[in-house]
Amino acid sequence: MTLESPHGHIQARRGYARRKASSTVMLILTGLTTTLALIPLFWIIGYVVYQGGKYIDWSFFTQLPRPPGVAGGGVLNAIEGTVLLVILSSIFAIPPGVLAAFYAAYYPNTPLGIAVRFSTDVLSGVPSIIIGLFLYAVVVKVQGHFSALAGGMALAILMLPVIIRTTEEMLKLVPPALREASLALGAPEWKTSLSVVLPAAANGLITGFLLGLARASGETAPLLFTALGNEYFDFAAQVRSGLASGQNPFAILAGILGQPVDSLPLTLWKYAQQPYPERTHQAWAAALVLMALVLSTNIAARLWIVFRQRRMKG
Amino acid sequence: MSKKMILAIASLSVVGLMLSACGSATQSATETVAPAGSATNTGPATAVAQTATNTPLALGSVKINGAGATFPLPVYSAWTYAYKYVDPSVVINYQGIGSGGGKKAIIDGTVDFAGSDSLVTDAEYASGKDLQMYPMVAGAVAPVYNIKWAKDFPTGTPVPVLVLDRQTLVDIYNAKVTKWNDPELVTTNPGLKDYLPAATITAVHRSDGSGTTEIFTKSLTSFSADWTAGGATAVEWPVDKAGNGIGGKGNQGVAAAVINTPNSIGYVELAYAISNTMSYASMVNKAGNTVVANSSSLTSAMGDFANGFTDKLTATIVDAPGAGSWPIAGYTYLVLHTQSMTDCVKAEKILEFIRWALTDPAAGQQASNLGYSVLPAAVRDSVLAKLGAVTCKGNLVLK
Repeated sequence: MTLESPHGHIQARRGYARRKASSTVMLILTGLTTTLALIPLFWIIGYVVYQGGKYIDWSFFTQLPRPPGVAGGGVLNAIEGTVLLVILSSIFAIPPGVLAAFYAAYYPNTPLGIAVRFSTDVLSGVPSIIIGLFLYAVVVKVQGHFSALAGGMALAILMLPVIIRTTEEMLKLVPPALREASLALGAPEWKTSLSVVLPAAANGLITGFLLGLARASGETAPLLFTALGNEYFDFAAQVRSGLASGQNPFAILAGILGQPVDSLPLTLWKYAQQPYPERTHQAWAAALVLMALVLSTNIAARLWIVFRQRRMKG
Repeated sequence: MSKKMILAIASLSVVGLMLSACGSATQSATETVAPAGSATNTGPATAVAQTATNTPLALGSVKINGAGATFPLPVYSAWTYAYKYVDPSVVINYQGIGSGGGKKAIIDGTVDFAGSDSLVTDAEYASGKDLQMYPMVAGAVAPVYNIKWAKDFPTGTPVPVLVLDRQTLVDIYNAKVTKWNDPELVTTNPGLKDYLPAATITAVHRSDGSGTTEIFTKSLTSFSADWTAGGATAVEWPVDKAGNGIGGKGNQGVAAAVINTPNSIGYVELAYAISNTMSYASMVNKAGNTVVANSSSLTSAMGDFANGFTDKLTATIVDAPGAGSWPIAGYTYLVLHTQSMTDCVKAEKILEFIRWALTDPAAGQQASNLGYSVLPAAVRDSVLAKLGAVTCKGNLVLK
């Protein structure tokens, strides 16, 4: 440093000014493009809230749809159906997805590990309508009726690649030393995975599940040939009539899973192409409910992660 | 540990559920508890004499699923909603997945009935031998337009409705008439002579395969020998080759394209034209009279072809010859298996519903309110006769 000539020092100063200027320009540019990227998000949210908010009232959440020409009615069937389908698809997709991710993360260079990753990539590229048609052929046609079960399976297949890929990435981020320490202390592999690695990666996993859920809850195409849609799906009424006729809880649930159900995107899609203005209004309101449902799940999970981290630290 | 126990129990019960869900494939309605009469009869539909219910069924215990054409979806959903009050033991769910999807589903046996605007083909009859089509209502297709008039109309006078000749409509979609002030258009619209602009006509059509397009192109085929593109659910539009055609997805897409494109013309189901408050043209029909698309001109068209039904109960009603008949119209059908239904309770309920929809005045009123037209008595009687012949496990379903 002391060997620097005065001449060189001046050059460095000039270079510094130039670098500082270019840094400022780039900062402004990146700031601008970030704003540009955020505009569509807030525009969409704002517009849906504006359009949908006008037509939302309490009965929208508590009533079944009514035909065109009959005032009122809601989308209770679609809200219940969406929740049911998301629960079903999570049950079908998360456990096998996580297990597959463990395998792919621990044995990346075995033939099966490579196969898992390759087929996950392929699966995530399959158009969702194809998945719907596939399940129509192997479940709906075989069972002889459209069902919530088939819809849940279709969504599960859509969620699977998202869950496998994110879980795998998160598992790779867990320091190997943690796992090695556990194994060195004599814990078996499954116990290490379940009680050491999994909790350490939990936050990332939840993000992955949420991405999967968001993907599944926004899909229309795979449900067209599986869940079909059902204007008269009412959970409470099903349970009531089931109990009244002396069915056991399993039979009631089987009845619910074995019949067509609606979902919010499906309702939105159907309503948006009908000629009646009140249907279009309800489509906007359904869009708002769907968006709120996905956003609030997202926010709730983030809050839960923050809360969990605080508790672990404190 | 307790957490894991809960997990294990939960996963076990899920497996159990899946198994039992697979088992309950038929969802048959055999539980007999609450008498059907106990349901509140406060619905919008006038109660019809219910057919003998020797075994009372639980509320909403017979679940009937149907799918298919979107064209009749509004009237079917109005009917199924009202029918809950007529027969509370039945829940009928109809979903609009398109005529093609509906026909596939009924052949596969995944729905109890299908809706279709397009006819079941010979190949489809080969895989579903006992399929039968039943016309339910008819609907009109209306030419809608959006013209940017060359000059303003005098204030206080209503804008006259555009009148189209059958030949002119063919010529527009053939790109032979390309300007709104073409002499052909001026001849049928002398009152609009100074108002029709010298602008190019943009002709909008469906981009997806559709029963509406089938009705429209079959009409064009019948209107003039100049139309050579044929009559089908999707055709190659000559106007596209001339560069003046655009496609819209679904009736709503065509309506939106016409609304957003100045100096355009399109064709949609009447209900869409009315609800979007679009201008729709009157037509000069085969008899040479100017007719408006509405319930009575549609009924007249059905009457013209009342004897034109095939053994499968299908008929085309395009380009009707009657004095007051609307020329672009079609039936929409329900499709049923006539012999191979396995759940006889369900079969009886479906047929009762169809009979109610065809005969009850309230059901007919609902259809008219939504822009459809009910069947003329002669047609309806032949449909009812065919319904009476449906069997389940060898026995007649309707007594």
